[in-house]
Amino acid sequence: MITIKGLSKAVQSTTLIENINLDLEPGKILGIIGPSGNGKTTLLLCLAGLLPFEKGRITIGDRSIAAEESNTDKESLWAFRKKSGIVFQHLHLFPHLTVLGNIIEAPVHVNKIPKADAEREARRLLKKLEIEQHMNKFPEELSGGEQQRVAILRAIAMNPEVLLLDEPTSALDPIRSGDVRNLIREFANSGHTVVIVSHSVRFLRGMADYLAFMGKSELIEMDTADTLMANPKDPRTREFLRFSEVN
Amino acid sequence: MNSLTAFARPVLRWGGDPSGGAPYVFADPSDPQTYTGFDYEFAEALADKMGMQAQFVPTDWESIVSSLKRKEFNVIINGFEPTGDRAREMLFSKPYYLFRLQLTVRKSDGTITSLEDCKKYGKSVGTLVNCAASRLLEEGKYRVKGYQDPVGAYEDLELGRVDAVLMDVAGEMFYARSNPKLKPAGKPFQTGAYVVGIRKADASLKADIDKAIDELINDGTIEKIFRKWNLWDDEQVKLRTATPPAIEITTTKLNWSEGLIKLFKAAMITVLLAFGAMFIAVILGIPLAVGQSNGGPLIRALCTTYIEFFRGTPVLVQLLFLYFGLPVIGITLPGWLTAIVGLGLNYAAYESQIYRTAFQAIPERQWQVAYSLGMRPILAFRRIIFPQAFRIALPPMTNDFVALFKDTSTAFAIAVWELATAYRELANATQSYLGIGIVVCCYYLAMSLPLAHYAHRLERKLQRKSTGILSSGAEK
Ligand SMILES: Nc1ncnc2c1ncn2[C@@H]1O[C@H](COP(=O)(O)OP(=O)(O)OP(=O)(O)O)[C@@H](O)[C@H]1O
Ligand SMILES: [Mg+2]
Repeated sequence: MITIKGLSKAVQSTTLIENINLDLEPGKILGIIGPSGNGKTTLLLCLAGLLPFEKGRITIGDRSIAAEESNTDKESLWAFRKKSGIVFQHLHLFPHLTVLGNIIEAPVHVNKIPKADAEREARRLLKKLEIEQHMNKFPEELSGGEQQRVAILRAIAMNPEVLLLDEPTSALDPIRSGDVRNLIREFANSGHTVVIVSHSVRFLRGMADYLAFMGKSELIEMDTADTLMANPKDPRTREFLRFSEVN
Repeated sequence: MNSLTAFARPVLRWGGDPSGGAPYVFADPSDPQTYTGFDYEFAEALADKMGMQAQFVPTDWESIVSSLKRKEFNVIINGFEPTGDRAREMLFSKPYYLFRLQLTVRKSDGTITSLEDCKKYGKSVGTLVNCAASRLLEEGKYRVKGYQDPVGAYEDLELGRVDAVLMDVAGEMFYARSNPKLKPAGKPFQTGAYVVGIRKADASLKADIDKAIDELINDGTIEKIFRKWNLWDDEQVKLRTATPPAIEITTTKLNWSEGLIKLFKAAMITVLLAFGAMFIAVILGIPLAVGQSNGGPLIRALCTTYIEFFRGTPVLVQLLFLYFGLPVIGITLPGWLTAIVGLGLNYAAYESQIYRTAFQAIPERQWQVAYSLGMRPILAFRRIIFPQAFRIALPPMTNDFVALFKDTSTAFAIAVWELATAYRELANATQSYLGIGIVVCCYYLAMSLPLAHYAHRLERKLQRKSTGILSSGAEK
């Protein structure tokens, strides 16, 4: 479960996101769409507890961070960070670790899961996305799509309450993106909350339960995916959807 | 003997090698408890003239100079020749005997009439190691065979193991002249001098000795001694005029096996310097890098000043400064420690910059990913950041280590007996700049090449992973 109340973030005098409010129940997938440079990544970083913000409060399950706290109480910040897992737009795999090493690093060293168990689980996940043959390669040796899947598995392996994905399909072909969709869906069905930022309305359609449109720095509207798609209220949403249908 | 005078007079301790030492100084065959020889008699006369009591200290010819330096005795009296390399570390009295060299061949020999013949016909020449004759032969590129004592040399000549023997006339007279199987070839040639060897600090002793020698020459004592040993010749009249010994241009013969061992020891010191300095540099580089990156304004300024100072001034000057400057404020370190500390301080400046560059090369997002996976800063640093930075830093650090190996040679400036110093000393003493130089370079290469090779391999091995850092770090 995610609750965002009055979240604002600025860098110096530039507003990156302004007064974001949002509620999302467990087991649901929220897709966030919107033009480039509107603050989608910034929102995800705040949600992940990686970016201090000036105003508001974010709650994930039984943990929350507030504007003031995020700079001070390290313990609760660390606890909050464990609530979510994030897949970055540019992945940032650990270049010094193999595929398997990337996935089991945190389970073994943060959650103290025995290495053999962590590896078994990692293999299961890799098999699901059909990249288990690359298990012992280094990120550099993988294609973009393969790297993307490894990054998703690295986040999922920690079994976070919330999974945050920033453009998870940018390097995936249709079949691969189908595999990834299934995995994400499955992850949500097992009671996790998922937030996906994507330019691809096609990817989100049929998977996202809710859709939110991000205008310049603010959340313009949010509704069930079907409603927002069929009947967007704001003209900016309408215009964005029309363009993404064409492309 | 005269115990009363022995008590009353100060003692002049003189060193000489009595083994195979006839006619210089040797155990008296008729009374093996006592010594005799012209050097023995000369030493007695000299001490007497100086109002002192001579005391003979048997020593080893090879290490006679260092024994003098270690003050095992006051002077060397042992057919001692003034040479250029010795002149650098000690004083010489004026000559008390002028020797010449005599070539000896077998009586049956019809070809060799001079030293030139030996070369012309490719004949081998025997001589004593580390003396004027051996140096002459060494320089002339003769086929030389070195001997520890004259007996062995003349014996081998008799037996045909060597074709000629070149020796001081003193030795030749004593050992060969009366041998019916041998004969002199040509006339004596090449004048050299026997002098008394004195420590550099004992200038007043030298003055006393010179004065005494003058008197011994003038009152005929020296002539009496050498006539008794059948060594007086016309050459000796020059003693009255030849005041300071002409330092001859010939040099000591290089004993290669000994030289290699000496160089090996020096190489070990070089290794010690390099490892010690690198250890300091690697450790000290950390606070410098952290201070310069994350410290407050004062710390930052201090670290930057340190780094710019040590990178901006020559390491040689830094070493000299530490070596001669620190004692002024009461800190006196031995040379080797000064070299380790100085090079360590210097290289710490460079290592700190390698660390900084390495950590700056790790994108901020790597920290964020680690945090998002629930890692705390220390774990994130240990498992994610450090290994990547280490891979980036290791090749340049290894390169620095190779450079440091070579920079240890600057320690010669503060008299540390490392490879470069050893090279200078050995080559100076032997004039074998090329041969020893090649060996010294080989030692350096033997140490630095494996390191350089390792650095190169490491670089290639890690290249893959470091480009990985760049490609997935393009976002920021
Ligand atoms: N650290 C920062 N300092 C200043 N401005 C920033 C910083 N980070 C992001 N921005 C700006 O904030 C705005 C929002 O950035 P953000 O990355 O959140 O956009 P986005 O919606 O994810 O875009 P895209 O769809 O292209 O990924 C951009 O204009 C960006 O230039
Ligand atoms: Mg973005």
